[in-house]
Amino acid sequence: MAVIFNDTRMRDRIQLVFSLGIFALVALLPAIVRNEYWQGVLIVSMYFAMLAAAWNLLAGYTGQFSLAPAAFGMIGAYVTGLLSYHFNAPPLVGIPAAVVVAAAIGFGLGRIVLRLRGPYLALTTLSFAEICRLVISNSIEITRGDLGLNVPGIFDHRLTWYYVMLGVLVVIQLGLYFLLRAPAGLYLRAIRDDEIAAASRGVKIVLWKTNAFTLSAAISGLAGALYGHFAQFVSPELGLLSQTGIIVSMVVIGGLTTLPGPIGGAFLVYVASEFLRDFGGYQLIVFALLVIIFARFFREGLWGFFRRAIERPGRRPAPAPSAAE
Amino acid sequence: MACLSIDSVSKFFGGLKALDDVTFSVNEGELVGLIGPNGSGKTTLLNILSGYLSADSGDVVLDGRPITGLRPEALARRGVLRMFQLTRVFPRMSVLDNLLVTGSALGLPEAEADRRARKLIEDLTLTRMMHLDAGELSGGQRKLLEFGSCFMVPPRIALLDEPFAAVHPTMKEIMAAIIRRRHAAGQTFLLVSHDMPVIVELCPRAICMNAGAVIADEKTRAVLTDPVVIEAYLGEAAV
Amino acid sequence: MLLIDLTVNGLIIGLFYALMAIGLSLIFGILRIVNFAHGEFYMIGAYAYTLIALFFGISPWLTLPCAFIAGMALGWATERLLMRPLYSGYASWGVMKDEYAVIITFALSLLLINLVDKVIGPNGYRGPSLVATTRVEIGPFMASGHRLMAAGIALLVLIAVGLFVRYSYWGRQIQAVAQNRLGASLAGIDTAKASSIVFALSGGLAALAGALLSPIINATPDVGAFPAVKSYVIVVLGGMGSIPGAAVASLILGVLESFGAVYISYGYRDTFGLVILILVLLFRPHGLFGERSREV
Repeated sequence: MAVIFNDTRMRDRIQLVFSLGIFALVALLPAIVRNEYWQGVLIVSMYFAMLAAAWNLLAGYTGQFSLAPAAFGMIGAYVTGLLSYHFNAPPLVGIPAAVVVAAAIGFGLGRIVLRLRGPYLALTTLSFAEICRLVISNSIEITRGDLGLNVPGIFDHRLTWYYVMLGVLVVIQLGLYFLLRAPAGLYLRAIRDDEIAAASRGVKIVLWKTNAFTLSAAISGLAGALYGHFAQFVSPELGLLSQTGIIVSMVVIGGLTTLPGPIGGAFLVYVASEFLRDFGGYQLIVFALLVIIFARFFREGLWGFFRRAIERPGRRPAPAPSAAE
Repeated sequence: MACLSIDSVSKFFGGLKALDDVTFSVNEGELVGLIGPNGSGKTTLLNILSGYLSADSGDVVLDGRPITGLRPEALARRGVLRMFQLTRVFPRMSVLDNLLVTGSALGLPEAEADRRARKLIEDLTLTRMMHLDAGELSGGQRKLLEFGSCFMVPPRIALLDEPFAAVHPTMKEIMAAIIRRRHAAGQTFLLVSHDMPVIVELCPRAICMNAGAVIADEKTRAVLTDPVVIEAYLGEAAV
Repeated sequence: MLLIDLTVNGLIIGLFYALMAIGLSLIFGILRIVNFAHGEFYMIGAYAYTLIALFFGISPWLTLPCAFIAGMALGWATERLLMRPLYSGYASWGVMKDEYAVIITFALSLLLINLVDKVIGPNGYRGPSLVATTRVEIGPFMASGHRLMAAGIALLVLIAVGLFVRYSYWGRQIQAVAQNRLGASLAGIDTAKASSIVFALSGGLAALAGALLSPIINATPDVGAFPAVKSYVIVVLGGMGSIPGAAVASLILGVLESFGAVYISYGYRDTFGLVILILVLLFRPHGLFGERSREV
C-alpha cells in the first residue's frame, strides 16, 4: 500500500503541490470567467490569500495569534496611498515603501509582544490594530479620515492585474514553502510547540519570533499596497476588526498550519461571500459559524478532509511493542 | 580541570530561601549525581544553570567564562544542554524533526544533522516512530526523545533532571547505556535523580542537597552512608 | 462643583464597568482565557431589556431580570457548547488551548453581532428608563433619575456577587477551581459545573450592564465593542482573576475617563483604554493586583 504522508518532507511537498494546483486552476479561470466583476472578486480573493498566508505563518506556524493582520494590510495600503496623494510618488516607490514601513512596524510590534502569549498577545495586538485604525480615521487633515483616499491605478486591463497578483501570490507561497523547509521552519514550529524547550535546545527565540512578525507584516503590507492600487481607493475600513475576522475565518476553514489552507480558504470564503451577498448578506454569519464549527470539531479545516481522503488505510507502521514501549 | 563552577549561588522566592550559598565544581569528564529530597533546590539550581532563572547572588562559570545572566538559548550554544523534570518535546513535530531542531540550532549543517539524528533515533530504539509526531509517543518514549536531544551536538555539560523518573526499566537501561558510553568518551554530566541504584552504578561522585544547601559532596558510597544525608531523606529517627 | 460632578459620574460609570469586568475576571480565574465575545453578552442584555419592554409593553423593572437571565443563558450555552475542549484534554488543540479560546470567542463575537444585525436590524433602540425623573439633585451633584437608580442596582448586584463568591457553597467551589483546577477536581468538585456557573454569571452581569446603560447608550449590534475593550483593560489592569482588583480598576478607569474626556480629548477618549492596556501588558502584565506566574 502506497504511503503518502510518511514523513514531514513529503507532507510539505504535497501541500505545496496542492497549492500550485489551486493556482493553476485560478490561472485558467479567466477562460470561463469573462465577467470583469467576478474577475475582480477573484483578485480581491488574492489580496485576502496573501493576508491569510501571512497570518498563518505567524499564528499557525509560529503560534503567535495576532489580531492585527488587517491592520497591516491597511498600513501598506495607506503608505502607498499617502505617498501618492501628498507627494505624487509613483507606485514603484509607493509599493516597496509600503513593504518596508509595514515590516518596520511589524518588527516593532513583534519586539513589544515578545513576552506575551495567548489572550495577552491577542489583546495587545487587537489594541494596536484598533489604535492604528482610529489614528488613521481621526487624522483627517493627513488621511481624509473615513472619506478615504483615491489611489492611482497601475494597469489598464483587469486581466493584467489578475495575473500580476496571482504571480505575486505564487512567489509568496513558494517563498513560504522554502522558508518552512529550511531550518527556520523548524525553529518557528518549535517555538509554537514549546518555547521553553526550544530555548533549551538553542533556538534563538527573540530573533525568530520577531522575524515571523516582520515577515508576516511585510507580506501583509505588500498585499495592502497592491490592493490599494487595484481598487484605486483606500479607507480605514480595511483595518476593521471584522476584516481580521474574515482573514482568520479563511485560515481556520481552509486549514490552520497548512500551506494550501489559507489560499484555498481565501478563495472559497471570499467567492462564497460574494454569492451570499446576492442572497442578502449573511456571509459573516455563515463564516463565523463555520469557524466555530471547524475550530470545535475539525481543527485541520478543509485540508484535513482532503488529507484523510487520500491517506490510505494502514499507512503508518503501528508502533510495535518494542523495547521502547 | 573545572568545567562548571558554581560559587556561592543563592536564590530567594519572596521570603523563601530556595538556594543557600551553593558552591561546587564539576570537572571535565565527570559524571556527578545530584540527589536530595523533594524541595531541596535541585531543579531550581538546574534552572539557574540553564538560564531560566537568575541567581540572586553568586556566580556560575563555564569553561572559565561567567555565564550568569545568559539566556537559555545562548547557554545551549555554549554547550549547556538539559532535560526537564516534566518532559518537554515538540508534540506537533516528528521525532526526527525534534532532533533536527537542536542540530540546526546548534550549528550543524543539514546533512550532518540528519545523519546524526537518524543514528541517535536508532540508538534510542525509536526508529519505528521516526516520522510520528512526538505528541503521539508514550511518556517513556518522549523522555527518550528529550534525552536524545541533549546529544545531537555533544554538550560541554549535560544537565539531566530525573531522566529515570517513571520510566520502564528497559528504557532506563537504554539511557544508562548511552550515558555510560558517552561518559567513557569524556562527556561531562550532572545527573539529578532519586533512583539510588542508578546513581550508585553510574556516578563516582554525588552531591546531596537539602533545603537549598549542599550537605554532602564526596564519593557516592560515602554520601549515601553519611548520617546527615540519611537524616535529610528519612528524618532524624532513621539515623 | 465640577470636580465632584466628574468624580461621582466617573464612579458611577465605574460601577457599570465593574459589572462587565468582574464576570470576565472570574472567567479568567477559572479557565485562564479571555472571552472575546464578552461585549456581545452586554449587547444581548441591552436588546433583551429594550425589546421585551417595547414589544410587550411590560415595565422595565420586569424586563431587567429578563435581560439578566438572557445573559446567563447565553453564557451557559457558550460554555457548554464551546469551551469543553479547554479542559477535557482535547487532543488536536493540545498546547494551543489559549489560542483556541481566542479564535472561538472571536468568531462567536462576529457571529452574534452579525446575527443581531441581520435578524433585528442595524438601527438602534433606546432602552426605557427605570425611573421617570430626569433630574435629581443631591447637593452640588446632578444626575438623571435612571442613572442613579441604575448605579444603585449595580452596586447592590456587585455586593451580592461578592458575597456569593466569598461565602456561598458554589462561590467557594469556584474559588477552589480558580486556585487549582486539578486539585479541586480530585477533591470532588465538579469543575465543569463551576465553569458553567462562572460563564453564566459573567454573561448575566454583562447583560445587566447593557440593560442598565441602554437608555444612555442605545442598543445597536456593535454596542458591545467598547464596553468589551474597557473590561479587557480593567481586567488586565486589576490583574487577571482578581475580583477586588477588577473592582478597583473599574472605578479608577471610570474616573480617569470622566476627567480625560473633559480635560484631554473627547475624540480620542476611547483610545485611552487601549493605550493603558498596552502599557500594562508590557510593563506589569500581572496587573496591579494579580499574581506573577512562574514559568519553568
